Amino acid sequence: MSKIIKGPSTRELMEQMVQESEHLSISDRRDFLRKGVAAAAGIAATTFAGRSTAAEINKTNLPPNEPTWGKQLGHGVVEQPYGSPSQFEKHVVRRTVPWLTADSIASISMTPLQDLKGIITPNGLVFERYHGGVPQVNPDEHRLIIHGLVERPLIFTMEDLMRFPSVSEIKFIECPANGGMEWKGAQMEALQFTHGMLSCCEWTGVPLRVLLEEAGVKPEGKWILAEGADGAHMSRSIPLEKALDDTLVVYAQNGEMLRPEQGYPLRLLNPGWEGNTSIKWLRRLEVGDKPWYHREETSKYTDLMPDGRARKFTFVQEANSVITTPCPENPLVKPGFVEIEGLAWSGRGKVKHVDISFDGGVSWVPANLKGLVLDKSLTRFSLVTKWNGQPWLLQSRSVDETGYVQPTLAQLREVRGGNSIYHKNSIHTWKVAPTGEITNVQIT
Amino acid sequence: MFKSLDMTKPLIVLGLGLGLGLSLTVTAMFTHAAQFGIGETATAEQIEGWDIDIRPDGKGLPEGSGTVEAGEVLYEERCATCHGLFGEGEGRWPVLAGGQGTLKDERPTKTVGSYWPYASTLYDYIRRAMPFTAPRSLSDQQVYDVTAYVLYLNEIVEEDFVLTKDSLASIEMPNQDNFFIDPRPDVQNKRCMENCADPKKLMITGTLKGITPVGHFVQGADAPAASHDAQMEKEQEEEKQRKASITGEAIAEKHAVEAASLSELALAGKTTYEGACKVCHGSGLTGSPKFGDSDAWSARIKKGMPVLLDHAVNGFSGDTGVMPPKGGRVDLSDQQVEQAVAYMVESSQ
Repeated sequence: MSKIIKGPSTRELMEQMVQESEHLSISDRRDFLRKGVAAAAGIAATTFAGRSTAAEINKTNLPPNEPTWGKQLGHGVVEQPYGSPSQFEKHVVRRTVPWLTADSIASISMTPLQDLKGIITPNGLVFERYHGGVPQVNPDEHRLIIHGLVERPLIFTMEDLMRFPSVSEIKFIECPANGGMEWKGAQMEALQFTHGMLSCCEWTGVPLRVLLEEAGVKPEGKWILAEGADGAHMSRSIPLEKALDDTLVVYAQNGEMLRPEQGYPLRLLNPGWEGNTSIKWLRRLEVGDKPWYHREETSKYTDLMPDGRARKFTFVQEANSVITTPCPENPLVKPGFVEIEGLAWSGRGKVKHVDISFDGGVSWVPANLKGLVLDKSLTRFSLVTKWNGQPWLLQSRSVDETGYVQPTLAQLREVRGGNSIYHKNSIHTWKVAPTGEITNVQIT
Repeated sequence: MFKSLDMTKPLIVLGLGLGLGLSLTVTAMFTHAAQFGIGETATAEQIEGWDIDIRPDGKGLPEGSGTVEAGEVLYEERCATCHGLFGEGEGRWPVLAGGQGTLKDERPTKTVGSYWPYASTLYDYIRRAMPFTAPRSLSDQQVYDVTAYVLYLNEIVEEDFVLTKDSLASIEMPNQDNFFIDPRPDVQNKRCMENCADPKKLMITGTLKGITPVGHFVQGADAPAASHDAQMEKEQEEEKQRKASITGEAIAEKHAVEAASLSELALAGKTTYEGACKVCHGSGLTGSPKFGDSDAWSARIKKGMPVLLDHAVNGFSGDTGVMPPKGGRVDLSDQQVEQAVAYMVESSQ
């Protein structure tokens, strides 16, 4: 704890930022905004955006001229039998932090939240987490076995599973290590790296409850071991209460069969719980009377406290939120109206409120929840305001339907110290400079 | 959500709503006949082949026993390249031993001995997932041996210990009593709207420089890399620079040979290399000759292809490192190994 870095107070910083911007006239400031962001230290806005810079724009394609694409024909149908995004969106990709893990085979990549709209994550951008790489499973040769404390052990083909009445649900999935790089200090100058172990899809499959009814769980059955067919044979113990509540066995996401990265042809989905419990390439469910205490629920995915003891079975992803516009990848480029947008979610249910602070958490204003507000799903929030180059310490704070309020980093650290790795759901701060540049800071 | 199903099972929904107290009643209902009649009865034989899990009470352990002595041989062949000869861990691969008494430290070392609550987890995990490049390749007997040795590395068992079904379940791990059920929500923030904090007392800190892998965004920047391969390159380059600065040696540029000049045999080995060999040879882990490093390979190449191939297929202990038989991938054919060796040799001349 002693190594957690201390800085100036937010008042000192805001005053300093105001002073720095005061000598700029309005026109200076606009110019500064235009040029300053790209020239800002760290990551240049233009390289982040990945699109044409002002200098690269071909003016002959602008009004009043007829652009090139209006004077010729494009390609026909099934040129791409399975379509892909525009060539101008090549920067919208998953990215990883290589120094986190020894190898890419047992590693994680993050979703580019900074580039996404609405609440659904496109299948090709859902974050990846593998413990032994992505297996290429032939669905005709894949089986799910349910056994242990059941009346009748069952084996299902994919065809069998798809005969059950299906359900489709929009749920987020989040790695409990999301944000975990920042327990001791701000580290990542990118939203993708601070919050990108998070995705949200419409999942289609069968409630696990239905499959367990088919097998008939014996009265002594209290836990379920879920196991994958991959080389890691990833396994987790799930309490029966959850399995009977809202756990799904899914084979499709966002309208198509699961991607190999997401467990094709079959995965578990434990809504609102840490992502690793949603076992991918699911091949076996064993009902037992006690948990198994496997590697991924003892050595990993337990939360070490300052007293040297550790929390186990820390399943729930508590209420969290983050502002996605602006963020380090999406700086403010023009003064005037700005829609502050972001994502909020809770593993305990629906998001009830999201508030926004411009002064590092001293005062707050309610934001609007946009579009669908669903149980254990991403929820988009928005607040339209004006920005004229004033410095901000921008934060969002979510409240879920249980009344739980997203905590501050200081509150979490006070209880959990700096070594618990997982479940860091604290209020996040973006520093907005008078140039419009956004940096990641921590306020405690 | 599941309305049509809910209506046919009103008691279950009620039971769930009331929580744990009714779970017995709820589960008891499952003895009813299957509703859909979909799926076959799984046979004992089918289940046995996949039922690999072990519990702390020893449930699931196969018959057999293992010794520290036999485990040492296996460990050095199959495990040490990543986990280190003494369980100290190579690079970022997991540290297995030591670290006892560090859990309250600024940088705790979580190992089998310092952190894991149950010895059964070790047997289970080795059996289901290790060695990393060849999961499910060890026999139950070998898993007993390696488990015994890793426990020995952690000073949990003596050198002459014999691990059996019964003795494994009776081992008490040092940190066993230090895990407790998740107490969250553990903090209570309030939905305050005005004067929620004193701005004079709120401290602000920025990011540590040079940690974000901006190699994703900025070409040629002196910044953390965007891929695992590039990161490895970068760290090795830094290590080379550091060594050179001590010894005063000039740093020779070494590049892997272009694929265009490779033989057919070598090209056929690329896939095997990527899937099996690269984990170590891609970085030169534990003294293995690194892909593309002609200095590291030249002495080995001089021994001739038959010798190299023999070492690759049957294993070899050299001065700088250990090559396990087929790199631990006993599932590979001799021909696949030959192709991969040719690929590495031709790319590293």
